[in-house]
Amino acid sequence: MTIQIEIDGIAVTTEEGGNLVDVAAESGVYIPTLCYLKAKPVLGTCRACSVKVNGQVVPACTVKVTDGMRVEVNEPETADMRKALVEILFSEGNHNCPSCEKSGRCTLQAVGYEVGMMVSRFPYQFPERVPDRASETIWLERDRCIFCQRCVEFIRDRETGKKIFSISGRGTTARIEIDPELANKMPPEQVREAVDICPVGTIIEKRVGYDDPIGRRLYDVESIRDRALERHAE
Amino acid sequence: MTTTLVIDPITRIEGHGKVVIEVDDDHNVVDAKLHVVEFRGYEKFIQGHPFWEAPILMQRICGICFVSHHLGGAKALDDIVGVGPASGVYLTPTAEKIRRLGHYAQMLQSHVTAYFYLVFPEMLFGIDAAPEQRNILGLIEADPDLVKRVVMLRKWGQEVLVAVFGKRMHGISSIPGGVNKSLTAADVDRFLHGADGLPSVDRVIEDAQLGLELFYDFHKKHRSEVDGFANVPALNMCLVDADGNVDYYDGRLKVVDDDKNVVREFDYRDYLDHFSEAVEPWSYMKFPYLTELGRDAGSVRVGPLARLNVTHTLSTPLAQQALEKFHAYTGSRANNMTLHTNWARTIEIIHAAEVVRDLLLDPDVQKDDLVVTPSADAWTGEGVGVVEAPRGSLLHHYRADRDGSVTFANLIVATTQNNEVLNRTIRSVADDYLGGQAQITEGMMNAIEVGIRAYDPCLSCATHALGQMPLMVVVVDPRGRVLSERVR
Amino acid sequence: MTTSYTKSIASHELPATRLDPELAAKRAEKIKVSMISLCGCWGCTLSFLDVDERLLALLDKITILRCSLTDVKRIPERCAIGFIEGGVANEKNIQTLKHFRENCDILISVGACAIWGGVPAMRNMVELKDCLSEAYVNSPTAVPGAEPVVPFDKEIPILTTKVYPCHEVVKMDYFIPGCPPSADAIFKVFDDLINGRPVDLPVSLNQFD
Repeated sequence: MTIQIEIDGIAVTTEEGGNLVDVAAESGVYIPTLCYLKAKPVLGTCRACSVKVNGQVVPACTVKVTDGMRVEVNEPETADMRKALVEILFSEGNHNCPSCEKSGRCTLQAVGYEVGMMVSRFPYQFPERVPDRASETIWLERDRCIFCQRCVEFIRDRETGKKIFSISGRGTTARIEIDPELANKMPPEQVREAVDICPVGTIIEKRVGYDDPIGRRLYDVESIRDRALERHAE
Repeated sequence: MTTTLVIDPITRIEGHGKVVIEVDDDHNVVDAKLHVVEFRGYEKFIQGHPFWEAPILMQRICGICFVSHHLGGAKALDDIVGVGPASGVYLTPTAEKIRRLGHYAQMLQSHVTAYFYLVFPEMLFGIDAAPEQRNILGLIEADPDLVKRVVMLRKWGQEVLVAVFGKRMHGISSIPGGVNKSLTAADVDRFLHGADGLPSVDRVIEDAQLGLELFYDFHKKHRSEVDGFANVPALNMCLVDADGNVDYYDGRLKVVDDDKNVVREFDYRDYLDHFSEAVEPWSYMKFPYLTELGRDAGSVRVGPLARLNVTHTLSTPLAQQALEKFHAYTGSRANNMTLHTNWARTIEIIHAAEVVRDLLLDPDVQKDDLVVTPSADAWTGEGVGVVEAPRGSLLHHYRADRDGSVTFANLIVATTQNNEVLNRTIRSVADDYLGGQAQITEGMMNAIEVGIRAYDPCLSCATHALGQMPLMVVVVDPRGRVLSERVR
Repeated sequence: MTTSYTKSIASHELPATRLDPELAAKRAEKIKVSMISLCGCWGCTLSFLDVDERLLALLDKITILRCSLTDVKRIPERCAIGFIEGGVANEKNIQTLKHFRENCDILISVGACAIWGGVPAMRNMVELKDCLSEAYVNSPTAVPGAEPVVPFDKEIPILTTKVYPCHEVVKMDYFIPGCPPSADAIFKVFDDLINGRPVDLPVSLNQFD
């Protein structure tokens, strides 16, 4: 059913029940996301896509559009909230962009640029996070994990459907875990899938890094904003 | 009563250092030391990190010679994954030439920056000119056209680095077993023929000789002062090829003495059999020396002066011509005149420009066989990489485990090798310029800095190591004698 | 260690040749900038030089006072802009940064190290006492048979336990991310400041690596 909603004061005609992130992109409005993967179940873990719907702050990826909805994306307070969220993520972990192999194709970094982050307003924590190298092909660099849980939900053992990644602990002691036995059974293209869906440089393939020269990395070629909007261009 | 004269900080060098000179009541210099005051910790905190990150991380030790660290690390990684005679798997010609291209382009821009922005002001204005004038601001005021030529020369070198690394500084090129990109025909064309805002290679070769011309001019006018300034005897070391001539990217380490006799020549992978490093409490920079010869006789000089003392020839025509004149000046003996390091530097600028041109003309730099992958059982887990950085021989030594993490890292950096020689130079200049002088001026102190700047020291590089202040309580009597001491 | 009977004089306090009054007068009309590298690799300072030809026109409008590239070792008069590279890693860095804050209207954190600590801040995740052995005691090049010595002297500064971003020590006014930031990014911020515009770094010039 065709409906009408309003995004930042502009009327938008669309189909009822569409995902707000996609609907906004279709009408040329970029909402940054970190854990959202189109065509996969919504996780809602990162909250980077927070917008105001009918005056209330909600993650856009969890919203299915209904008729008459009033959406504010680039309203200053909400935009700053998203920026603060991204800043928290940076200062919580150890995000050493200068030497990270994911730099240039990292979603967190690209979103950082789009929200205009220069520095985190929060104290930099420098937590001690130990990497996991038990599996043969995957190096788990916990320094960079933002707990989006894409890997937990979407990377499953092909035979049994069991989870290969999981979160142990809670709060500041939470950490991402990998089952080395199941990980060693992952075929090469699934390893690459895990590397690709990790929005940061936590899941990296052992001994592979910097194969894309600067200038040819994912977001060097096209920014995350342009990619998001283009995906929906008519 | 002693008077302490302090230079804090030393300026127109890279990094943080200070000089403390003690002078007694009769105006005699009692002591002179270079205190290196910074401290980072690369050798420790790289442990546990993926080994393929090492070049990208280690290059951030220094902004001016990052390529040297990148390549030192890359060569160590090649060893680790088993590239070399044992496996029979070697870098492709393209990979090695791309690495050399980056290396020599860096030498060009680093030496140009050091010579014109850091060293040349005294040559133009005098050692005791106004401090506010002895720098790039003064150069622009006095001769803007010269500075424009220098800017374009440096820019050309920097743009070659962009073509290799993707950025002017701290980019990405080397991976274990090779590099991640080569040059395009468009890149090569730009550098050879010039473009909007970029000189052609012919113009670059021409301007590369500016430094040498300016030195000849300066030397003619102030010969005795230049020749008499800080004559510091030392052994000379650099990387050499099979013929005993300097090769800035690879080779064996060779050490020669004052008479150019070979004192040592060895595979740099055996460096631990040859070198020790002493530690003094008053500086974060260590003192390497050839173990068998002891610290006094075994301290080596590295860098442009050392390299031109070691080498018989240079492989490019204009540089070779200049080298012959340089060698003729001291006959069969090595050159120990500190300010002649600047002369040597200008010859290396010419050499670097010519080598970059030759590499750009080589079709291999445009090919795309970039990486070799030795089989898993070629893995050695340990590697050493040595290159001739602009400032001298630079060594990276890593160990990594099969899981991929670095388990050990040790670096010996060029400026660290020069630590002893630097201190001797400071003492020599202090004796000459301050000794016996009742009235000390800022210009006299600058003379000491001029001696230091000839080495173009990179003090950030030299203090990659990490240490800590122990808590030490020392009880002394009024005459300074230690009564008791406790250390935590 | 020296006794307490010494008089200490810094070279920049000694009699020096004065700058030609005409040159000094021209410089006095320009916007004053001072620059420093704290615990940094000098890369951001060099990236500033990468403005290439634009440097001459820029130096028509600004003049640089204290800087490792000039020979001016202390800030001689109040500056409009302070360019800070590098994070805070020892007590001397703290003193220097405070000296800059007191003497500059605006301070800019240039580069990753000043903004969040950068690569040197990787030592924050390592126990300081463990590092002692690594460099000076258990080093593979330690002199055989010698007593291990760890540098400790009144002439060298004490390390801070952690490496700190500059804004956690003094207030910083602007930030230019990058390792190093491109010359274009540095130039844009300078250009905005000296022309009295609000500082605006576009997305295309913002790089964290």
